[in-house]
Order: sequence, then C-alpha cells, then structure tokens
Amino acid sequence: MSLADHIRTESARLAALCTACGECVRACPMVPYAPGVAESGPEAVAAGLVDVLRDGPGTEAARAWIAACTRSGVCTPACPERIDPAFMLRLATWRAKGALGAAPLIPVKEDPQLPARVKAFARLTMTEEEQRAWL
Amino acid sequence: MAVAGAGDRAVFWYGCNMTRHGEVIRATARLLEAVGIDAVTTGGPGSCCGSPKDANARINEGMARRTIQQFNATGRPVVATWCPSCHMNMQDSMAPVTPTNFETVHVTELLHSRQDRLRPLLARPVRARVLLHAHLGFNTRVPVNGLVSDLLRLVPGLELVEHPIRVPGHMCSSLAAVPGALADAEAATLAAMAETGADTLCTIFHSCHRELVALERGRPLRVLNWVHLLAESAGWAAEDGYKAMRNAEDPRAALGEARIEAAGDVAFARLVEPELRKPPTL
Repeated sequence: MSLADHIRTESARLAALCTACGECVRACPMVPYAPGVAESGPEAVAAGLVDVLRDGPGTEAARAWIAACTRSGVCTPACPERIDPAFMLRLATWRAKGALGAAPLIPVKEDPQLPARVKAFARLTMTEEEQRAWL
Repeated sequence: MAVAGAGDRAVFWYGCNMTRHGEVIRATARLLEAVGIDAVTTGGPGSCCGSPKDANARINEGMARRTIQQFNATGRPVVATWCPSCHMNMQDSMAPVTPTNFETVHVTELLHSRQDRLRPLLARPVRARVLLHAHLGFNTRVPVNGLVSDLLRLVPGLELVEHPIRVPGHMCSSLAAVPGALADAEAATLAAMAETGADTLCTIFHSCHRELVALERGRPLRVLNWVHLLAESAGWAAEDGYKAMRNAEDPRAALGEARIEAAGDVAFARLVEPELRKPPTL
C-alpha cells in the first residue's frame, strides 16, 4: 500500500463513520485561533472536515480549523463515536496541503532548507565522530 | 506498559531538529546505556519520518520507507523515539505503509520502565523548584507528562510543583505556526510559574526548549530540559549549548570564529544566525 492509498482508505472509512456531531470541535483548544470556527458552529465545522476527507473543498471555517490543528489530541477522547478525530484531522491536513496532488486548500509552510539547517546545527553541537555515527 | 518486555537492543531515534541539542542526545544515549540498553543513536535528514514533505505523499512515503528499511536492517527489536512528531508519524503513516520488524516506544517509556537502575545514578542533589512544561498533545498516546514527572522525582533535592496547566499542541513548534498561540502559551506558563513559585521550567521536547530558553532573558528563572536535570544529578557534563547561543548578546562572539568556520560560515549566516537573533516571543 502507498501512503496515498492509506490516506484515501482511512479518509473514506472515517468520513463514513463520522456523524458531524461537533464534539471534537467543542473540545478543541485551538478554536480561538481559527477564524470563523466559533461563528460557524461545531456541527458545521465538523461537516466541513468530513467534506475535505471526501475530496471536497470543505468550508472556509473547516479549512481554518484544519490549518490551526496543533495535534492537541483532546478531540479523540471527546468523540462519542470513538472514531479518532485527531487522526481525521491528520488525514485532512495531508489532503488540504495537497499531498494527493490536488491544489492546496490551506497555506503550505515547507522549509526547503531544513536538511541543511539540521546539519549546520549538528556541526556546532556534535563532534565530528558523533556526526559520522549519529547522522 | 508495552516496554516491560522489550529487549536490551534498540535504536535511539532522536529525529531531525534535535541536532541543536547535541548534549541532550549525548546524555540521553548515556542514560539508555546506564539502564542496560544497547542503543545505536541515529537521526538527522538521513532518517526522516517524512513529515517535512507532508504536501507530497509520494516524497513523504519515500523518505519514511528509507528510514524504516534502515531500522529493519539493524535487527533491533525496539526503536526508541525522542520526537513526538516522529513517534506519531511512525504509528499513523509510516508503519501502516511499510512493514516494520520493531516495536516503537518513546524513550521516556524505556527509562521509566528501568527507573530502578537510574535511581542509584542520580546521587547529586539539584536544588530547583520545577514546573513541568506539559502539553495536551502526544500525552494521549504516551503519558509523557507523568513519565517525565516520575523521572524528575528520582532527583534528590528537586521539588516538582503541581499545576493544572497543559498548553495546547503536542510541542511548541506546532503553536509557533499559529499566530498568537505560542505567545499565549508562554504567558500562561509564566503565570503558572509565578503562581507556584517555581524557579525552573522543565521542557520535555526539543522544540519547546528551543522556543522557551529565551524566557530566561531578564527573568529570574531557568529553563532546562528533563535530561539536563537528570544529567546534573548524575554529575555528567551537559551544558546547554543551544541556550548559550540563543541567549548570547552576540551569538558569533559567543561561539567564536573558529567554531563558526568549522560549521561553515555561509551556512551559519544563512541557516543558524537568523534563528539565534530572532526576538523572543515574549
């Protein structure tokens, strides 16, 4: 199985199970940082999340909520269906960033210099022997 | 806990951004050795979880597959993670796609399961009134907040204060990407320290440490990682190299031109210095 297949399969499975009750949104500590989420209401935001999992664009509020996810994980124990909303958000983040080839739905912040930066710091904090052994 | 029956041979997978904290990697490897774990230490871009390429599933998968194949080839039955992102990615996207022949545990689980072997090492008192910098996230997968608290309680002289604060996210790098969230978390943390009379803020993860060391500027408090505190109690040298760079008035002067030259002057100027000179969040 490829990662893309994994994302598609799990997205479809969880979207089918979700009732969009909104308990995950109510539990989320990041709602104050996601524009439009409080105004839209938890049920509508959860429905927008499910739409993203089904290849849809979601709603503006749902996309804002996905973009503000910091993986606090408190949505999962809040789910009355026990279907792991934290993983749903992880799947939605991949999709919204365009991981499956579609145009991104949320801003993508990649650091193209990450590998070089990681190695530059290693040269400052590790001995040459440690760099050879640990990198 | 799953690690109770784990073997003595492991891979210690520290992740990528931990290279800022060489002394923490070094001391953690030494802690693992001290509790009887024969661990090979690895990290950096060569063993990536794939998440830096979240916007491209094909590249993400390729990076992750290479890492799993490397771990599988070691024949070691346990991979001990440091980074919560790496750990969750192993569970959520790496192992479900590429078969593994190892169990993934967090390094705190391994050390906690062998704390009886740690206790005799931690002989030197550490006089500190400590607030643990605890996040809501990842703790639902691995109860790191309690595990680290227990490890800190092994340190003589150390007083761990109780406070209900649990900041959002799984570590501070996630908050830093959301406008306002990191500043709010830091302000709440400082308020909790004042409320409890804590003089030391103890970080669990590297990205939190990276963000929070700047809180020391102009404030009568210390920011240390839990590994720094254990190392201090064991009498091991583990000076916080990143904090020294980050809080120096002039990072270049603090490091010295010889070290900068060894690291590569252009690389330092482009990749390191802007981060070190970034204004503190608060």
